[in-house]
Amino acid sequence: MYYQLINFGNEEFHAYPNKSLYWKRLNTLIVSDLHIGKSISYAKNKQFLPPYDTKEILNKIFVSLDKIKPSNLIIVGDLLHDVFSTLSIKDQDYKNLSQYMKNTDFIWIKGNHDKNIQIEGFKNFTNYKIEKFLFTHIPIETPLFQICGHYHPKVKIVHRGKTIFKTSFVHNEKIFILPSFGILTGGLDVRSKQISDVLGKNNLSIYPVGQDKVYKL
Amino acid sequence: MNINKSNPLLLHPLNKWMKKKKWSWFPHQIETFHHVRTGSDVVVFAPTGAGKTLTGFINPIDDLIKLKKFKGLHTLYISPLKSLANDIVRNLEKPIKELDLNISFQVRTGDTTPYKKQKQKQKPPNILITTPESLALLNSYENAKEFFHNLKYIIIDEIHTFLDNKRADLLSLNIERLQTFSPNLQRIGLSATLKNKQDAKKWLCRKKPKIVSYENSVLPKIKILESKERIPWSGHMATYSINEIYKEIMKSKLTIIFVNTRAQAEYMFKNLWLINKKKLKIAVHHGSLEKNLRLKVENNLSKGLVDCVVATSSLELGLDYGDVEKIIQVGAPKGINRLLQRVGRSNHNLNTPSKAILVPTNRFEFIEAKAAIEEIKKNNLDKIDLKEGSFDVVAQHIFATACAGQFDINDLYKEIIKAYPYKKLKLNDFKQLINLIQDGGYVLKNYDQFKRIFQLRENKNIYKLVNKRETRKYRMNVGTIIENPMLKIKLGTKTLGNIEEVFIQNLSQGDSFIFAGQVLEFQSMKNNLVQVKRSKSLISKIPSYSGGRMPLSTNLANSVRALLAKSNMWDSYPEQITEWLKRQKNISKIPKKDEYLVEQFPRKKNFYTVIYTFAGWHANQTLGFLLLRGFKEFNYKPLGFVANDYAIVLWSLKEVKEIKTILNLGLLDKHLDNYLEETSIVKRLFRDNAIISCLIERRLPGMEKTGKQVLFSSDLIYTVLKKNEPDHILLKSSYEDAKKNMIDYDRLREILKKIDKKIILKKLTSISPLAVPIILEINRENLSKKETDEYILEDLENEILKEANVLSIN
Repeated sequence: MYYQLINFGNEEFHAYPNKSLYWKRLNTLIVSDLHIGKSISYAKNKQFLPPYDTKEILNKIFVSLDKIKPSNLIIVGDLLHDVFSTLSIKDQDYKNLSQYMKNTDFIWIKGNHDKNIQIEGFKNFTNYKIEKFLFTHIPIETPLFQICGHYHPKVKIVHRGKTIFKTSFVHNEKIFILPSFGILTGGLDVRSKQISDVLGKNNLSIYPVGQDKVYKL
Repeated sequence: MNINKSNPLLLHPLNKWMKKKKWSWFPHQIETFHHVRTGSDVVVFAPTGAGKTLTGFINPIDDLIKLKKFKGLHTLYISPLKSLANDIVRNLEKPIKELDLNISFQVRTGDTTPYKKQKQKQKPPNILITTPESLALLNSYENAKEFFHNLKYIIIDEIHTFLDNKRADLLSLNIERLQTFSPNLQRIGLSATLKNKQDAKKWLCRKKPKIVSYENSVLPKIKILESKERIPWSGHMATYSINEIYKEIMKSKLTIIFVNTRAQAEYMFKNLWLINKKKLKIAVHHGSLEKNLRLKVENNLSKGLVDCVVATSSLELGLDYGDVEKIIQVGAPKGINRLLQRVGRSNHNLNTPSKAILVPTNRFEFIEAKAAIEEIKKNNLDKIDLKEGSFDVVAQHIFATACAGQFDINDLYKEIIKAYPYKKLKLNDFKQLINLIQDGGYVLKNYDQFKRIFQLRENKNIYKLVNKRETRKYRMNVGTIIENPMLKIKLGTKTLGNIEEVFIQNLSQGDSFIFAGQVLEFQSMKNNLVQVKRSKSLISKIPSYSGGRMPLSTNLANSVRALLAKSNMWDSYPEQITEWLKRQKNISKIPKKDEYLVEQFPRKKNFYTVIYTFAGWHANQTLGFLLLRGFKEFNYKPLGFVANDYAIVLWSLKEVKEIKTILNLGLLDKHLDNYLEETSIVKRLFRDNAIISCLIERRLPGMEKTGKQVLFSSDLIYTVLKKNEPDHILLKSSYEDAKKNMIDYDRLREILKKIDKKIILKKLTSISPLAVPIILEINRENLSKKETDEYILEDLENEILKEANVLSIN
């Protein structure tokens, strides 16, 4: 897997095309907004999306964990889509997760979607501090560098008369927003009000995600 | 049918009214009356002005008078357009009111108020005039059986518009439902003249099927605009002849100028006004304009308050639009039926010929126009190809059935396969569609507790809605027409119309564009509303609309090829055309009507291959892609291609030596699936199929999701589904949709079957005269066909890196 080198808070990070972020020095993999079980959530409203998102998301994570073998996996919020989501996680999935948890420390930071959900044996936090970095779902007022999720950033590219939208990693000097790791998740433009209120409009580093590569704008 | 026998219609209740108007019954009306009376389902073919609408109502009115004070619904009239439905009501009113007949009739469309709709359901009129969508809705109510159980006649107007599309599929399913409710139901179809009348008959008729046909012996007078200016080599705008077009408008009292796309309409309208010295009242009319704007133009048209209207097919259907003296068709007609329909808008008197002028916008179109005139003289019409029905429509129909009450799965299947488009529907596919409505139909059964319909424990053949609230969802989603995400354009507080979201996304603040005949400046976009103001700019963009492209019909294409080969006609053409064809004959060749000319020549360090297939744009576009892959396989290193209705041009780094080996049926079989995948054709159609089959909800005004967001998620759904369940019925449905409607698969197949025996290969040293038009199109097209998102990202990155002097260019 090709990765894109990103410098943030004076640390080296690797951005992968599967939308995960790797903190090299601390051997830590970071993902956000998995929204496991989104399909089941829609199904209860009788919109029957293909029920394979949970399986695919878990597979994606497992592949990353197999390849990188990180010491830590940090999930920066919205691991699950809603209370029904655990219905989509089968026994075998729990078994697999337990296996991986033996070699990697899973740190689950709650987001707005999974605020009130608990999974037995899975610790969770509101936010998590490592050295000068704060991991939190939605950015807050703090002097620390922040790595967040929530906004599912994407960027609009107009080039050669065509317009395309690409999921992206984006950061300014102090705040890094991860793209959504999920399979059926939509997104917000980095220039939208919600994101520009947080990151501002200037000095943005944007990394659109392609098929097998993460690009740098 | 011996017309000399005493006319039974002389006893018809409407006869008094006919006499008063000094009208006499047409032979086809007498014939229809007779056949329907003896229990036949009939399709009537007649041109505009031949009293077709009245023909449909002759038997129903006769029946109703005989039955005296019939209570309940007796006749259903289906019209393709809401506006037409309203016109019919107005027309029915006249004789019924004047003769004080005891017949009640009402209209029911999306515009009918909920109050009126409620009253109609409780106390139905004798005659209900409605649209296919409203019929589908009516069939989904619990009292549907009761409502329709005495229905005697169903009249389908403009049935030729209901033969080969999803709307037609849905209508045919609903007609079979009505037949189940009322076994005595008889069907009457009204159609414009068609070539394959038998097919229309098969589509509609069950009982003692009959065709009644009226051929107008008075043919329209069509000529090509005589212009002193040079007809352009390529392009689609008639700017060269705008002055002569203006002269023609000045000459007649009322003219309709038909163009082929909305962009052309805006452009033509703008240019006419630039030279409008006589201050003629010229209006523009097309489907994206706001309803009131359109109605205003239509009213002015019927009242004669306008001198000229520039329109797209938006004005093709409809009742009398006043005294239109002349039709000007700008741009190639693309098909005979369409041309005749348009020409028929002028002069609704059967005994005087309609007048029309064709204005070709490039050289090939000149030949096309000439060929069209020849075909009309011979009364040679296009064939409408009836296709198998779409799966997604069946799914919607199943949902509608469930809304009306519990149903037996076997009975439903038997009813569906009675409909002509679905006579070959496999039971297994039907069952998968049941599962689709039930819970998405996935192999992974995650949604058991969220099912929409369930099987009764006592009888596994009976299905029932889990929750009646679902009926509301169905009703918001009914129909087969999927709009591209559109945004409303507002000038101050006035709404001008809709424009495709894609166009607006490419605009920056301050950009100007033409719409509704005005030059507007884009100010801002918020909540699906685009705010604009009047612009003084001279340079402006014209919104292009997807789906504006009508392909060249097979019939007309063959005629063009035949005409091209008729060298004895050349001297009668304008000088530039004659010269063009003669030079082509000298330098290369003019193909015979069943030959396929392939020219090859070097140009700009590349090798060009031009293939004249005359297969129509869709088929040529497909063939272009297939050839790119074929060329790649043979290592010719192809770079790109461009296609139009007549030909394809491909350019490659290496000379193509074995064109005859590549150009055959194997090419299609081998590469078609890849083509559909790579170009996202199936993916885009998946969205439509998912919405029509009620898998995902339609975006409705007031909902938060923007059109783009819905598109986004259906792309994701497609990707996940394709990866995990490639055989899912919805993917199958989208694939078939693509083959039927996007790529002209059958037509391409026909050509490739016999092409290898008919290839004439010409190796030249430079561009031939015949190839100039398509070579010119290369500049117009961006090479975006080859450009996937990846390509754009890479290219952008390279550009930026180059600017930063970081990338080394090899």
